[in-house]
Amino acid sequence: MKKAIKTSTLLKIIIILYLFIILFPFLWVSLTSFRPESDIWSSNALNLKGMRFTDDNYAKLFKTTIFNSLKNSLIISSITTVYVTLIASLAAYSIARLKFKFKKLLTVVILATSMFPQMIVVGPIYRIFVNLGWTNSYYISLPYSMLTLPVAVFILITHFSQIPREMEESAIMDGSSKINTFFKIILPLAAPGIFTSAIMTFIGAWNEFLLSLTLNTDEMWRTATVSISFLRGQFEIFWGQVTAATVIVTIPTLIIVILFQKQIVSGITSGALKE
Amino acid sequence: MKFSKWIDKRAGYILIIPAVIFIILFSIAPIVGSLRYAFFDMQLNDQSKNDMYLSSNVNLALNQETIDYLRYYLDIDLDSVEKEITIDKIAEIKLDIDDLEKYIANEIATSDLKAIVKVNQKDQEILVGKQQYILRSLEELYSIDDEFYSPEDTLAVASEFETTIIKSNFVGANNFVKVIADKRVRSTLKFTLVFTFISVFFELILGLFLALIMNRSFKGRSLVRTFSLIPWAIPTSVAALMWSYLYNGSSGIISKIFSTLGLIASPAAMLNSSSNALWAIILSDVWKTTPYMALLLLGGLQVIPNSLYESSSLDGATKFQQFRFITLPLLKPSIFVALLFRTLDAFRVFDLIYVLTGGGPGGTTESLSVYAYKVMFSQTRFGYGSAMVLVMALIVGIIAFVYIKALGVDLIGEDSR
Repeated sequence: MKKAIKTSTLLKIIIILYLFIILFPFLWVSLTSFRPESDIWSSNALNLKGMRFTDDNYAKLFKTTIFNSLKNSLIISSITTVYVTLIASLAAYSIARLKFKFKKLLTVVILATSMFPQMIVVGPIYRIFVNLGWTNSYYISLPYSMLTLPVAVFILITHFSQIPREMEESAIMDGSSKINTFFKIILPLAAPGIFTSAIMTFIGAWNEFLLSLTLNTDEMWRTATVSISFLRGQFEIFWGQVTAATVIVTIPTLIIVILFQKQIVSGITSGALKE
Repeated sequence: MKFSKWIDKRAGYILIIPAVIFIILFSIAPIVGSLRYAFFDMQLNDQSKNDMYLSSNVNLALNQETIDYLRYYLDIDLDSVEKEITIDKIAEIKLDIDDLEKYIANEIATSDLKAIVKVNQKDQEILVGKQQYILRSLEELYSIDDEFYSPEDTLAVASEFETTIIKSNFVGANNFVKVIADKRVRSTLKFTLVFTFISVFFELILGLFLALIMNRSFKGRSLVRTFSLIPWAIPTSVAALMWSYLYNGSSGIISKIFSTLGLIASPAAMLNSSSNALWAIILSDVWKTTPYMALLLLGGLQVIPNSLYESSSLDGATKFQQFRFITLPLLKPSIFVALLFRTLDAFRVFDLIYVLTGGGPGGTTESLSVYAYKVMFSQTRFGYGSAMVLVMALIVGIIAFVYIKALGVDLIGEDSR
């Protein structure tokens, strides 16, 4: 009995320590974002006593393009989520349920592209975008498929395989076409899986950096992840503004995590789970 | 009716086709593109090298522009010169220019007179001969003592003829040879491998430990799970910026703590010394990815049937024996997937380093991806950069192959039933 209590105390300490380490960087950065710039640079910057607070940094941030970047990120990620989820659902259903030639090959091709270093596609895509005049536009959503589509297909294959076959079989017996069956019967049943894959696609697109850095170079077209990296100027850094921007950009992520944690966990683990 | 039957028979293809098209357009075609670039000395900022030229080409637009300017300058000269011999010479040169123009129109140009067109060796020699002849005649012309408008400008324009011929920039395997000999590739590869190995090692050990803890039932377990998602969900560039603040020399709390503990010489040394910077990057990566690793492995732990543990403890197995003979073997597929994905991810690390250190100090924390990016987009050497990226992809392939062989797990398995 004594031993059980002891381990549970140890467990508590470990868990609290773990949570502290996970949350500390964000909490400390949030705290800094409310301090005057001069205090951040002063010699007792790390003294918790006598800390002064202000909303100056946020006020200054409103004058930068960070909110425009957030808007760009939101639009680009939403476009990506909608079309990737749609075509990934179709493909995943085809792979999970239908029989056709070259299925294994096509599946491997779709899933294996996620293993390539992203850098390998950036050069040619950049040139094509320059030639087509597609740089600095929402067209950047299209190459985001390289990143998000394989993951979405993978998650959805797992979910479609879990749906019992009886329902679609009886629908097909009744003379419904395969494509009709998919839209009328499978899709509603698979809604939770599709939602999971949509969330994962959105997060993937929201966090993308390399393509955005190369393709949308104009300040007005930058996404939030790139925009924030430019706040670290070459010669001087205003940590107050940098930390405030970090908080602003992180908030959408936090909201998504808190609202959809179940779906995200299932999205993460469906990659590792084999039935 | 017949049409819908035709569709139904091919439903498998029809549903997968959109995804395949996207993969072909935005993954496979660019990969093939990079493969082609790698065989050319392609440099975007150099007009004669900003595309792939297998054979020699003539820039007709530039040639025509040069001809037009020469005519314009010669006409001005004609108004101001006085000597008979000069006037004759100018008339002669103008005829030569007409000849060059005619030759191009008849022998070289296609329908588009402004295009960049291929020329064979023989045509190229004739063309260069005619251009050089005009250049020499101009030099002779200006050696005559007369009232010319601006000989320097005219000669400068004529020298543009040289750039109208675009030589082939096909270099064969040369770029690959250079990549292998490149010392900076070697040092960045070494850094990338060290970073990958150490980060993934710590992430796996700590992740497994945390997964085992989270698998036990305790109050607030779902809360811990939710918080675990935060580092993973924060965009890498944002996390890198956060850590760069925590590490900075004057007000960074982590660098302050480390220097107080004696781990680093002074707070400023956190990112200024190359070995400290390596550990700073690893720490940030471990912070960001360990919780994700833990969740991945937790998923694997939760499908291990409890009955196995119950019956084994009836047989008198210790906790360690259970871990060694039940948990580890059954967790192997999850560990494999987690390791594979994490290793490939860490090997292509870009955002974290690009934002946190930019490859500094002195290029010592440059990963292969960061170096390749600089070669391609700062120096605009697309050919060389592509060769580097391909070598990188090859290493990625080898890593994946070794994992699959060593752990003996079928990645896609029977999923494609």
